[in-house]
Amino acid sequence: MVGGFSSLLWAGAILCFIAYVIEFTKDNSASMDNLFLGIVLVLVVILTGMFAYYQEAKSTNIIGSISKMIPRKALVIRDGEKKEIPAEELVVGDIVEIKGGDQIPADIRILDSQGCKVDNSSLTGESEPQLRSCHFTHENPLETKNIGFYSTTCLEGTATGMVINTGDRTIIGRIASLASSVGQEKTPIAIEIEHFVHIVAGVAVSIGIVFFIIAICMKYRVLDAVIFLIGIILANVPEGLVAAVTVSLSLTAKRMAKKNCLVKNLEAVETLGSTSIICSDKTGTLTQNRMTVAHLWFDNQIYRADTSEDQKAQSFDQSSATWASLLNIVTLCNRAEFGAGQENVSIMKKIVMGDASETALLKFSEVIMGDVIERRKRNKKVAEIPFNSLNKFQLSIHETDDKRFLLVMKGAPEAILEKCSTIMFNGQEQPLDESAREAFQTAYMLLGGLGERVLGFCHLYLPEDEFPDTYSFDTETMNFPTSDLCFVGLISLIDPPRSNVPDAIIKCRSAGIKVIMVTGDHPITAKAIARSVGIISANSETVEDIAKRLKIPVEQVNKREAKAAVVSGMELKEMSPEQLDELLKNHSEIVFARTSPQQKLIIVEGCQRQDAVVAVTGDGVNDSPALKKANIGIAMGFAGSDAAKIAADMVLLDDNFASIVTGIEEGRLIFDNLKKIIAFTLTKNIAELCPFLIFIIAGVPLPIGTIVILFIDLGTDIIPSIALAYEKAESDIMNRKPRHKKKDRLVNHQLALYSYLHIGILQSVGGFFAYFTAYAVQGFRPDLLLYLRPLWVDDTINDLEDSYGQEWTKYQRNHLEWTGYTAYFVAVMVQQIADVIIRKTRINSIFQQGLFRNKYIWVGIASQIIIAVILSSGFGSVPILSFTTLRVQYWFVAVPYAIVIWLYDEFRKLLIRRYPGSWWDKNMYY
Amino acid sequence: MAALQEKKTCSQRMEEFRHYCWNPDTGQMLGRTLSKWVWISLYYVAFYVVMTGLFALAIYTLMWTIDPYTPDYQDQLKSPGVTLRPDVYGERGLEIFYNVSDNASWKDLTQTLHKFLTAYSPAAQEENINCSSGQYFNQIEFHAPNHTKFSCKFTAEMLQNCSGLTDPNFGFGEGKPCFIIKMNRVSLLRLDSKYIFPPFRQSPQSHSFLPSSALCSKHQIPPTNQDITPPHYSNPLVAAKFLNIPKNKEVIIVCKIIAENVSFDNPHDPYEGKVEFKLKIQK
Repeated sequence: MVGGFSSLLWAGAILCFIAYVIEFTKDNSASMDNLFLGIVLVLVVILTGMFAYYQEAKSTNIIGSISKMIPRKALVIRDGEKKEIPAEELVVGDIVEIKGGDQIPADIRILDSQGCKVDNSSLTGESEPQLRSCHFTHENPLETKNIGFYSTTCLEGTATGMVINTGDRTIIGRIASLASSVGQEKTPIAIEIEHFVHIVAGVAVSIGIVFFIIAICMKYRVLDAVIFLIGIILANVPEGLVAAVTVSLSLTAKRMAKKNCLVKNLEAVETLGSTSIICSDKTGTLTQNRMTVAHLWFDNQIYRADTSEDQKAQSFDQSSATWASLLNIVTLCNRAEFGAGQENVSIMKKIVMGDASETALLKFSEVIMGDVIERRKRNKKVAEIPFNSLNKFQLSIHETDDKRFLLVMKGAPEAILEKCSTIMFNGQEQPLDESAREAFQTAYMLLGGLGERVLGFCHLYLPEDEFPDTYSFDTETMNFPTSDLCFVGLISLIDPPRSNVPDAIIKCRSAGIKVIMVTGDHPITAKAIARSVGIISANSETVEDIAKRLKIPVEQVNKREAKAAVVSGMELKEMSPEQLDELLKNHSEIVFARTSPQQKLIIVEGCQRQDAVVAVTGDGVNDSPALKKANIGIAMGFAGSDAAKIAADMVLLDDNFASIVTGIEEGRLIFDNLKKIIAFTLTKNIAELCPFLIFIIAGVPLPIGTIVILFIDLGTDIIPSIALAYEKAESDIMNRKPRHKKKDRLVNHQLALYSYLHIGILQSVGGFFAYFTAYAVQGFRPDLLLYLRPLWVDDTINDLEDSYGQEWTKYQRNHLEWTGYTAYFVAVMVQQIADVIIRKTRINSIFQQGLFRNKYIWVGIASQIIIAVILSSGFGSVPILSFTTLRVQYWFVAVPYAIVIWLYDEFRKLLIRRYPGSWWDKNMYY
Repeated sequence: MAALQEKKTCSQRMEEFRHYCWNPDTGQMLGRTLSKWVWISLYYVAFYVVMTGLFALAIYTLMWTIDPYTPDYQDQLKSPGVTLRPDVYGERGLEIFYNVSDNASWKDLTQTLHKFLTAYSPAAQEENINCSSGQYFNQIEFHAPNHTKFSCKFTAEMLQNCSGLTDPNFGFGEGKPCFIIKMNRVSLLRLDSKYIFPPFRQSPQSHSFLPSSALCSKHQIPPTNQDITPPHYSNPLVAAKFLNIPKNKEVIIVCKIIAENVSFDNPHDPYEGKVEFKLKIQK
């Protein structure tokens, strides 16, 4: 963005210097205006560049401070000694030792491992800890168990490994370099600014050439005509706009940061707003990234548990005796424990030692019953068999209040059911007959079909006579019964969607944004989550659903009928780009399951082929090429790896999908507001250009000088134009389609024409009226001014007669000319106040929008008036600034025109609102 | 965004441009059909007619409100300017350099004076009346022809031997040149005293003023409460004849208006209330 603008300003600056050199060689005492203008243009470019750099560097710093992933030290065995050396000094062949909590300092091949588990989530996106051993299990280095990757964390255990890759040659390093080689697209706003610069340059050059020809025909000298040409082009350069746009974008970036979207690159602010497809991760972004109890089945009934973030509203019926038993099992048959010293932390935020499912159950029971630990203490554990993949259950035996021992067991439902002969209904044990088995089966299938992890629970009170309280349980010999137990119920767990995600998805849908879920999860889980958050809406079906409903083979289903599609990574692998395009085009609700992070890149490219502006979320290092390729890459602030954050344009500080949507809202708002800012800025360009044109054609004394123009562009107009960035949306911006990249331009011809040829001309007329007034009341009537210029500027005429016969020296005329500048300046300023008010809205009446809702506008207007008062009350009367002290009445000369501007624009908006789609709407709505 | 990055060939671009200029499918020229062009042009014509009307109305109101006889303000004309004839401008202001023995070097200077004084010939001043009151000439009524006011006569003769009548060379040939000093006309000016005074550090005989004592009669000053300058009004003049300017030497001469309400020390304006010039007579 700054690139497109600054090229315009650089070109302007060069033209200024050329013009100055031409004038200087012609006449040593030539005015320095062009030189000043050139210097100011260069300053503007440099200062805004520095500002943008500072803004972006600031957000990059924040990212840097979020996490420091680079391993610092490595424990290496060299020369038979263990040494600690900086990680960057490692070489291939070094033997390193790692232990729980370390970051792996290089890619290593494991030589020896004691229960070493690593967290590869930053690399592969798998959130489960991965066991590392010295066994080679797969050809693919990412899949095999005997490789530890650079920058991943060792969670527990110890291992010894040999360094096989370091630095850029590590897997992470290679991905990072792949990411940097992925070509990044120009941002949509950069394209828009380029388009805008083309329009401005086109207008400037064509007016310039027309007047060059006119000047030649009017027998001006060629050199003068060239100066005019350059002057006209320069008058079209919006000096203040680049600053206004940069500041507005950074204001929006700041606002987004408050809503947890940290934007690294200012241009990305708007890109987010034009997003038409979001490819979102599931885990952690759409979901809470923690297992939570979702459903319970007991008494032959499925109950729904509250899966929201705090789980406070558990609304199922808790009066049944079965529930009491189930809760008892859940509480006792659980190895997870709260970490110490967390008395004041809310339950959901407490840190728990234990795996995901047990944590979920522990928190669930703690929420419902409170003080689980106390209950466990009361029912002392006397024996325990932890879960293993062989027997698929976990068992423990506890003392109870009535001297009997209680055996509790949980595990895979079918394994548990096998061990049961009775089932509890309403607190009564009943034989496990066929109908009960069927009920179990139905519930199990249903919950499994929701993509949930289902656990079965059973218990048995051991008879007191056989197992007295002195009985010694032996888990090796299993000297206690593990069959004919009593089945109590099922509990299903899921990583539930974040509670604000479904709303966010609905918002996306009404905003015409397609949300595609990309996950490494199983298709069933993926689909279930997609349904529960609304990515697949309630009434849409996949091809498989239709086939199931119509009871026909999948191949016979008309693919067009299915709105939704669930595509697995394997299927995606087989697809040609054309098939992928077809898929993306025909289905509005798509879930990609079991995909590898690398496939994200393919999906992103597919979406971009549809001319979409694609936002992609990601956290792993593997995601970084996709993040880079996307129009806007969104990295996760908590879960994200550094590489992802570096590749991304934006960092989501709370990892929450809903934050993206608020970001989109801000992005759309700033696009609308940029339109207003540009329209506001362009308008007075004409009011600044016309004096020069009239000066050339009608030979009047110059109505406004270059320095004064600079005081408008970089003085009075800056704050109001920035204030427009605070304007509220006119209608619900999340109810319209994303803008079409090629049709909905930032600066369309309606905007340019309306600003230039309607309001701009009106302003010029007002300005000229002020100018003629200033001259007339001092003695020069308008008719005399025409073609007076040759005499007016002649240094040797010190007795030029005015309309009253008074005679003027050159300096007196100069002084009057400056009074004219000041009057014109004040007139433009007064009309720019009207302009900033009308630009608050594009379609609504000012009164609908509210005059006082955006207080910054009033700050802007106050700044306009204050700057103008300062300049025209004597402070500007330095000869070089060419202002004079202005009589008060000149301030009101242009007020009627300001009112006309406002009335005209209200009229325009009224007709647009009244007759949408009409000729007027098409030509007048920008 | 692949499409945006496509490089189009020149012929493709030309073809697109031609298509834009004239699209045979929709009958669009430059993006609009003919009837659309007519409509939009009509709108703009109407819009600009209204706007011109507004402007004309504003200018008309302006002309109607301003005083036809005296300007509303004289913010820039607090003190009248002073000009010199002959006026030859060099790099830095007035520079009159000539060679006594070289007729051609001062011929143009005397020509300038002759030309300037034609407005002060008796024929040109015929319609003006003789005033000699020595007071400001206040006229309330418009008694002169065509509803105007009278002006006082000021003829070149009053400048005596700087009139060009007795000495057509204005003394340039003998190294004693005449300069005519004119105070700019400014309405509503009332001078309390009226001298044009060159601070010339030579003997008192070095110069003489014509009319004598560098006095302008008050009646010649455009009077207060008067109005737009009468049609035949001519500024009163003062001629200065320099009698013994050192030869072959650049002399700086400043002529100031000494009056209470005339300032001559505006640092920006060298011609306000005074005129300064360089004179070098070579022999």
